Amino acid sequence: MDAHVAPSSSSSSATSAGAHGSLSGAAERLERPPRRQQAHQRNYGSNGNQEQMNNADQADGAVLAVPSVVIRESASRPSRLSAGGGGGASDGESGQPAEEEQGLKYGAQHVIKLFVPVSLCMLVVVATINSISFYNSTDVYLLYTPFHELSPEPSIKFWNALGNSLILMSVVVVMTILLIVLYKKRCYRVIHGWLILSSFMLLFIFSYLYLEELLRAYNIPMDYPTAVLIMWNFGVAGMIAIHWQGPLRLQQGYLIFVAALMALVFIKYLPEWTAWAVLAAISVWDLIAVLSPRGPLRILVETAQERNEQIFPALIYSSTVIYTYMGTHYAPEQPQSQSQSESESQPQAQPLSTATSSPSNSNSTATTRTTHNSLASPELPTCSSNCRPSTARTSTSRVNQRQQDNQAAAEGMPLVTFKTNLHGHEEAAGFTQEWSANLNNRVARRQIEVQSTQSGNPRRANEYRTVPAPEQQQPEPQEERGIKLGLGDFIFYSVLVGKASTYGDWTTTIACFVAILIGLCLTLLLLAIWRKALPALPISITFGLIFCFATNFLVKPFMESLSAKQVFI
Amino acid sequence: MDISKAPNPRKLQLCRIYFLTGFAFLPFVWAVNVCWFFDEAFRKPPYTEQTQIKRYVIYSAIGTFIWTIALITWVILFQTNRAAWGATADYISFIIPLGVS
Repeated sequence: MDAHVAPSSSSSSATSAGAHGSLSGAAERLERPPRRQQAHQRNYGSNGNQEQMNNADQADGAVLAVPSVVIRESASRPSRLSAGGGGGASDGESGQPAEEEQGLKYGAQHVIKLFVPVSLCMLVVVATINSISFYNSTDVYLLYTPFHELSPEPSIKFWNALGNSLILMSVVVVMTILLIVLYKKRCYRVIHGWLILSSFMLLFIFSYLYLEELLRAYNIPMDYPTAVLIMWNFGVAGMIAIHWQGPLRLQQGYLIFVAALMALVFIKYLPEWTAWAVLAAISVWDLIAVLSPRGPLRILVETAQERNEQIFPALIYSSTVIYTYMGTHYAPEQPQSQSQSESESQPQAQPLSTATSSPSNSNSTATTRTTHNSLASPELPTCSSNCRPSTARTSTSRVNQRQQDNQAAAEGMPLVTFKTNLHGHEEAAGFTQEWSANLNNRVARRQIEVQSTQSGNPRRANEYRTVPAPEQQQPEPQEERGIKLGLGDFIFYSVLVGKASTYGDWTTTIACFVAILIGLCLTLLLLAIWRKALPALPISITFGLIFCFATNFLVKPFMESLSAKQVFI
Repeated sequence: MDISKAPNPRKLQLCRIYFLTGFAFLPFVWAVNVCWFFDEAFRKPPYTEQTQIKRYVIYSAIGTFIWTIALITWVILFQTNRAAWGATADYISFIIPLGVS
């Protein structure tokens, strides 16, 4: 996208950034904690007595997946077990309704969490459009839009827009496929370089232009030393926060700003009809890329899940902490050694992760990627979702699973992902207070259950005991679940609202805004039901376009004639 | 990331890196450091690394403060004297406000 986005002058660098945007935009889907549970079940299920445990565990997992769940009594579990699997599907259908309900609740809390950043992003764009006239008019064009829609004829404009959007979309498709190929080939350095370059462009060059126009619009005097200092501070802090480690709020803020900036670039440099055509085309592309079996974004997400990797932070807005980072630098060594020993001792457990596991395993054990929590505390709710059967599973498997969760979330980047963050904030996860309050109880209960069940296998029981011990001292560890929304979604939502606001009519702007939020709600609803990565653009953009044009051509004239006739008086 | 969940040595390391980064004319990074680690330094029950974190946070706060003062002074000085300084001042002006017609 960057490439497309970038104005011809800065096109090359801009392109890279644009590519991000496009990718993310295209890719955005909502992802739910995927069905790893199923896989686990299968793997672990092989042992008879373990099976029960697993089921129970999975039930927990289901509950966990839906943070808002209230603690259930042990009696209630059986029914839920199936539900737990229900996400996975294979196991249970009996639990389905309960699970769905929980999923809806879960979704509802996260919807609110996503509303804020999306609204903020749109607010920045709309405020900018309305206060800085620079972004209102298109005088320079992107390299990717060779037709400039200068003709007054609607038919010619239409063909221009069609041509432009086709060119732009083909660039997006090529970029997306390029990214997938790079990712498949594990050229992480290239991808990271690409992402860093594009965010660098946005944070320095486009921000500089933005600052200049902002100051000019408000007639604020400034000298070069101050401006350079501000840009340097802003850009470097942004690079640190986005690509390295920084406060979550700061990172979110920067991502929102970058998305808004990208949207402004689109609004500024795309001819009017082309912008609308591109919006329609990108949402169709999003649909195809995420949902079709060979869709590039789907491949991206699945590959990332397989590899237990996090999707690049520059591409995704996460409502919670991205925990890869957290775990990355700090890996307790004990657990690792344990896990290794376990893996050796219990080869059969490994097959669980099978295809994924081989690479991921090596990573997990060798690298510190897993969060210490995951390693240390099997009983944590986090684990429980995947691993809680922890007793049955080897620590390695746990680690893997967690990683999978995390990474799955990460990979969903373009999409909205529900991810489990081990370290996340308690509140953020959407856990109800009740839930967290009862956490300890449940953990204890679970432990007891596990031990009792597993008594048959003394070795495991021991392991289990040993592992959790250190963790219990830290009451905090909870898994965090968050939704991830691709930055591309932010960008194109904002483009739609911003473009609507260039008509200078607040009714249209607000109608678009509401329509997009409703679309987002519906998408999250579907996410709760289907529990897989979903494209976030199609519903919202469709609603937005319908509302925009309907308001502009029907409601607005109607209102005007009404007020002209003084109906309201 | 959520700093309160990170292990203590990691906190210290992060705080230190942020503090050192701030010397590259990056008062904003210092400010972030202060906000980010303030709770760790002053509100958490004491732990071994806390004294060092506290020191870095205080130094960062001082640095931020000095930078802010210096910047404000410079801006005021420059804007009040821009006309008097003539061509040089115009040369380093990013935006020169337009008069109201």
